Amino acid sequence: MKIINKILTVTALSSVLAISACQDKLDEAAENKAFTQQTDYTNTANMSSPLLGMYAEFYTRGWEDFPLIALRGDDVNAGGLGDQQDYAETDKFNYNKDYWMYNSVWQNLYSDIFTAHSAMEQIELYKANATDKALADQYIAEAKTMRAWLLFNLSRVWGSIYVPDSSDPSRLLVAKLSTKDEVMKHISDQMDQAIPMLPNMHPNERTDIRGGITKYTALAIKALANLELKNYQAVADATSQIISSGEFTLEPSYYDLFKLKGKLNTENLLELQYSDLGKGSGDNFSYLFAFFGPQGWTPKVTGAGDGWGFYEPSLKYIKFMLDRGESVRLETSVLFTNRGITEIKKDSKYATLPAWISNTTRSGDKINDYARAMFASGKHYLPSSMLTPGRTDYGTNKNFPIIRYAEILLMHAEALTQGATSSAMTALAAVNAVRARASMPALTSVTNAQVMDEKLAELGMEWGTRYYDMVRLGKYNELSYDGRTFTESKIFLPYPQSQVDLLPGLKAKTN
Amino acid sequence: MKKLFVLLNLLLSITILFAQNPIMVKGKVTDSANGDPLPGVSILEKGTANNGTITDSNGNYSIQVSGKSTLVFSFIGMMSKEVAVNNSTSINVSLQESTEQVEEVVVVGYGKLHVKDLTSSITTMKPEDLAKTPTGQTMQALQGKVPGLQVVSSGGPGDSPTIRVRGIGSYPGKDNEAPLYVVDGMFFDNIDFLNTADIASVSVLKDASASAIYGVRAANGVILIETKSGHINQKTEISYDGYYGTQIAQNVLKMANAEQFTTMAMESGSAADISFIQNAMQRYGRSRINPNVPDVNTDWYKEILRTGAIQNHSINVTGGNQKASYSIGANYFSQEGILKMKNEYERFNLRNKIDFKATDWLTIGGSMIFSNALKYDDEADAWNQAYYAVPIMPVYDEQNTTAWPSHYASAQNLGYRSGQNPFPTLDLSENRLKIRKIMANFYADLELIPKKLNFKTSYNHAFTALDERYVDLPYFASSNFRRGDASLKKNANNYSNQIWDNVLTYNDRFGKHNVTVMAGTSYRDEAYYKLEAQGLNFPTDEEQSWYINQSKTIPVTGVVDDGRREYGISYFGRVSYNFNDRYLVYGTMRADGSSKYQEKWGYFPTIGAGWVLSEEGFMKNISAINYLKLRASWGRLGNDKIQASDGATTTTIIQTAIDGKLVSGTKTSSTFSSLKWEVTEETNVGITSQLFKNRLAIDADYYTRDTKNAAIYVKIPSIGGSVLKNVGIIRNSGFELSLSWKDELSKDLSYSININGSTLKNEVRDLYGQPYIDGGSAEFLQRSMVGEPLLAFFGRKVLGVYQNEAEIKADPVAVANNLVPGDFKYQDVNGDKKIDDDDRVVLGSYFPNFQYGGNIGITYKNIDFSASFMGQSGNKILNRKRGEMIWTADANLDADLAKNRWHGEGTSNKYPSAAGLRKGWNQKMSNYFVEDGSFFRIQNIQVAYNLHKKSLYGVQLPESRISLTAERPLTFFNYNGFNPEVADGIDKQTYPIPAVYTIGLNVKF
Repeated sequence: MKIINKILTVTALSSVLAISACQDKLDEAAENKAFTQQTDYTNTANMSSPLLGMYAEFYTRGWEDFPLIALRGDDVNAGGLGDQQDYAETDKFNYNKDYWMYNSVWQNLYSDIFTAHSAMEQIELYKANATDKALADQYIAEAKTMRAWLLFNLSRVWGSIYVPDSSDPSRLLVAKLSTKDEVMKHISDQMDQAIPMLPNMHPNERTDIRGGITKYTALAIKALANLELKNYQAVADATSQIISSGEFTLEPSYYDLFKLKGKLNTENLLELQYSDLGKGSGDNFSYLFAFFGPQGWTPKVTGAGDGWGFYEPSLKYIKFMLDRGESVRLETSVLFTNRGITEIKKDSKYATLPAWISNTTRSGDKINDYARAMFASGKHYLPSSMLTPGRTDYGTNKNFPIIRYAEILLMHAEALTQGATSSAMTALAAVNAVRARASMPALTSVTNAQVMDEKLAELGMEWGTRYYDMVRLGKYNELSYDGRTFTESKIFLPYPQSQVDLLPGLKAKTN
Repeated sequence: MKKLFVLLNLLLSITILFAQNPIMVKGKVTDSANGDPLPGVSILEKGTANNGTITDSNGNYSIQVSGKSTLVFSFIGMMSKEVAVNNSTSINVSLQESTEQVEEVVVVGYGKLHVKDLTSSITTMKPEDLAKTPTGQTMQALQGKVPGLQVVSSGGPGDSPTIRVRGIGSYPGKDNEAPLYVVDGMFFDNIDFLNTADIASVSVLKDASASAIYGVRAANGVILIETKSGHINQKTEISYDGYYGTQIAQNVLKMANAEQFTTMAMESGSAADISFIQNAMQRYGRSRINPNVPDVNTDWYKEILRTGAIQNHSINVTGGNQKASYSIGANYFSQEGILKMKNEYERFNLRNKIDFKATDWLTIGGSMIFSNALKYDDEADAWNQAYYAVPIMPVYDEQNTTAWPSHYASAQNLGYRSGQNPFPTLDLSENRLKIRKIMANFYADLELIPKKLNFKTSYNHAFTALDERYVDLPYFASSNFRRGDASLKKNANNYSNQIWDNVLTYNDRFGKHNVTVMAGTSYRDEAYYKLEAQGLNFPTDEEQSWYINQSKTIPVTGVVDDGRREYGISYFGRVSYNFNDRYLVYGTMRADGSSKYQEKWGYFPTIGAGWVLSEEGFMKNISAINYLKLRASWGRLGNDKIQASDGATTTTIIQTAIDGKLVSGTKTSSTFSSLKWEVTEETNVGITSQLFKNRLAIDADYYTRDTKNAAIYVKIPSIGGSVLKNVGIIRNSGFELSLSWKDELSKDLSYSININGSTLKNEVRDLYGQPYIDGGSAEFLQRSMVGEPLLAFFGRKVLGVYQNEAEIKADPVAVANNLVPGDFKYQDVNGDKKIDDDDRVVLGSYFPNFQYGGNIGITYKNIDFSASFMGQSGNKILNRKRGEMIWTADANLDADLAKNRWHGEGTSNKYPSAAGLRKGWNQKMSNYFVEDGSFFRIQNIQVAYNLHKKSLYGVQLPESRISLTAERPLTFFNYNGFNPEVADGIDKQTYPIPAVYTIGLNVKF
């Protein structure tokens, strides 16, 4: 009995002790996580990782980003009737602060801005151990340039915004809003810091990150920011540098520029890169081009998917182009349906249209009538014959150009016609270069108004350039078309309500 | 301790001394209710550990005992009886059924307690309560039976119902609401692997006082399950339980037929819609009855539904001798889905449980359950497709010759945007899950001081291998209604969970003081591992080649390798004390350590008190009251289903394409969560009573439970998304009542009636200063706001439908928006003469605020009959199927909408016109989509005939029971869907809940 008694006691006690011994298990870290604090910053071979991550985030754009940024000009209508009513209302300048798209675009852009900060902070940590400090500085300058473009768009859409200074979003709670002019000035300064650090070459000449940021991308963004500030001399200076470099040329075929041939084209200064990796199935990186696609078509390649029917080129734009006698730029920018063609012809002035206007594209895809819109955006269309066999998503494998050399030339011309000077190229030469590519006759002289018309013809449907130009120049009558009335109070979208609820600065500004 | 053992020795020697004059005692044991002999009654000589026997099949026994001894007769469900031998050699005994519930013993965490000692709210279900429901999911059998427990059925074969104990105290949708299931000491998230016939009891621990012993796991309620075991000295019993039956979809939603659909399309004024109808007439001809309607009339729900067989067969062998007891069984369950595709569930279970008294101070035992299930999940999208597929298209279209592998009809051939036909998906998708679970358990119970102090150590291991294979095969129906790639996704998961418990229990009684003290430790190790990969374009013809290695493409981004390992250490204790069986005090404490969070330790106390009024002198004269107890308790519970938090920034790999090549980079998070378990505090007051000669039992409880630091989404400024933080407060409160009446009118006729009901109020009390948190989708918003239920439906209020031009003209809103008669009219809630998002209000919650259930049972001679019902009210359902109209205006809709549409002044003030329905922009989230989800259901009707001591041609038949069961034969509701049971309130593709009709047989040898 005594022995048993002892055995029992020992058993009971040892169980309790054994459990106590397991206490250190509670400090085990979670599985399948890489904590940042464990990063080995002495392994500088990994220094490019945060930058590549930034590129990945930059390219991974929410489908709603472009539609909201680029909607409000007189070149384009919402389309997609019956669905996303608040999107159509935004096109008519009736803004709804509770509309999900406003909040989503705000968040998408800011989220990537914070990622850029985080990437810059990570690269700084590698830099301490790096032998090639200049490379670290270049990487930081690349992230800085992407951040600048994101801020540029945020401020064009909302006006006064926050300019973050670190990767910690909670600092916005106490931050002050910067006016649009302050933001544009900040962007210009940031680009001045970045330009000397960046590779002096065409983006498609980069061997490490082909199509990545170079000095000329930063110069282009500097020009864009200064254009917003109407600081025309700075625009002329920045664009002159790009023009003088000789790195950029216009793609001879305007139509092909917006197709596969446009990928990493010599005309591009900045583009979102997408790819199906050349395979008919499996991994695919793409923007959601279906948003732009016609809602019904008979593709040349059976089975190619159609789209949602949003983002419809306006009748005003089409008539403007017809008036100018444009062909390739109109053909490239607009996909016609028969219903749309009939609608144009209703205006007796356009009863006879050029023979080439048809609902079948040059590439053999037939656009059928659909209820939501009469036209679809041609610049966001990839012919079904160009899809990698096996792929069916509308437009997939196409890149999304952001800044083209044509825009640089036209910004240059705009600055000069506004009084700036440059020795790189005259305004007339710049405009005629763009016209020549579009098979338009050369002008003998050029006014600022003609430059602005050229911008509409050349850059229609691209990133809202037309809207922001008209806002900047105060030409509200151009934006007041088809029953719309544009006033100064409509320039900026209201802050998304859910951000106003969170950020005291926005709340104060809204009240 | 030494002294006690000396005492024990002394006692043993005395026994031996008495045993020197043994006599043989014989007799018969009968049931006092009907005089039938009782086989299997255990008879033990009092004071001995192992001198005992059991009665044979005729109730007879014989035992050799000392003439001065006392015999203890005991049998499950009967009150034990002690009879002094007094040298008599023949003792006949009749045993009475134990009617007083309060005498019963219930399973509580890490032990058992007498019901009379409880200060908490526990509802226990017995095998006979569970057996009436023909289901593979034991929890389904509890529906409508336990006040405060919400069971939301799942119609899919092998799918577990959603279980909510006393509401939801945690922000929904993060897999954090399920209660804890404890099966013979092992923790589970669900008990879908258990066979109902193997279960001895299910106890729902509802309040904090009962469940706090499970500490950090307890906040969502705890459900304890004991599997069946044998008993010492139990005669071997071989039993068969089985049923076979069929499942039939109920309340199938009536869709608009071809004629109604055509009328709607014509009235819509949409040229496109009208042209599609004409296309259909061209393609399929005109109906002879109405030449303006295409000659096709497909009822898609009828096409995709079928009846499904359900069957269950269990064999159990249970018994025991003086030292060992055992229970061994095998079970086969199979259930076909009612969706016309490979949709079925099959489960084969083996189990055994053995307890062995190794010495007089040591009992050891072990059990093992092996469950092997094969499940083919439904293609949920089909339920939605069948709703919007147009009736003017057949399933197969021989003219569609390019379609393969079958000539599927495609609505695109009629001009519609999508193909609509659900059959290609149904025929060419297969979702196979192989679920193999093993639960193994070993324990040793040491009796340190006989009858007073024991120590039990037990080790449990539950291992699950879950292999998922999702196959989508290619098809072509029309240009945009095709699946080009054969795709294959495989997912291998395994879960290995271990628990080691050590528990010391002390029971004593001195004078009028009764005390039970328990202390213990528990160590937990939970590991999960997953590997997932995808393949595209493999040989599709034979299933043998459905492997990733056979695939032409293996996407890199399709590979997932994930794992998790969490440890827990706990110390816990319980004191249960009663004075003179009148005054009860109860308390438990648990300290839980967890590796899941940055904060390691949490403490979860509870305290309860009870007062048995019926024991007081002043109550003794009230003969109507047999038992009356008041009880109150308070406790604190934890919920560690909240996801593990990182506690520091993490770096993740992300990929993109640069120059057409795959490139990887890293992203370092700029925010991180720092979370811990949620803490819920619950207060419960209640009464337990037995009235009128114990015929009426009334139990009532009122509770409030506050989740003090609910993990809620705190939005990150500007970045979007949000970080989870433990900063919300959520309150659930309710009243629960159960009444049961039992009476015997004559020897042949007895009956019982049970009724229960419970209320629930779910309320968000704090959101960390945020005015709201949005959930649901952008178009169908669900908003959590302070003072309202979690995820309440949020939108505009429809006032009606504009009836005439005058009404339009009088309303500036209608004029501004170019509305016409037949369009929805919304309420201008804030009175600013505009209808916009500022006019949105709370439209209701998906939680029922009242649930009820009940049953009646009648036994007449060998026939017994039972019927049960249940229902709920106050909950809302989002009819998301109707919401499809916003995006696709030309699709089909339900017959109610088609028939009762507005088509002229005064025809409807509820539904808009066909044209109005097509104005997606005038159909924002509103009370038009949010419908009443109340229902009443006849839950179960069973008639059974018991063969009792019957013989056929002179051959004695075994004890048998033949039963006919109708499960859920009738459901009544107003909701425009076919199933009012929608767990999250969003009815988009809910599996219908079928009625089940079965014939069952139980045989005992």
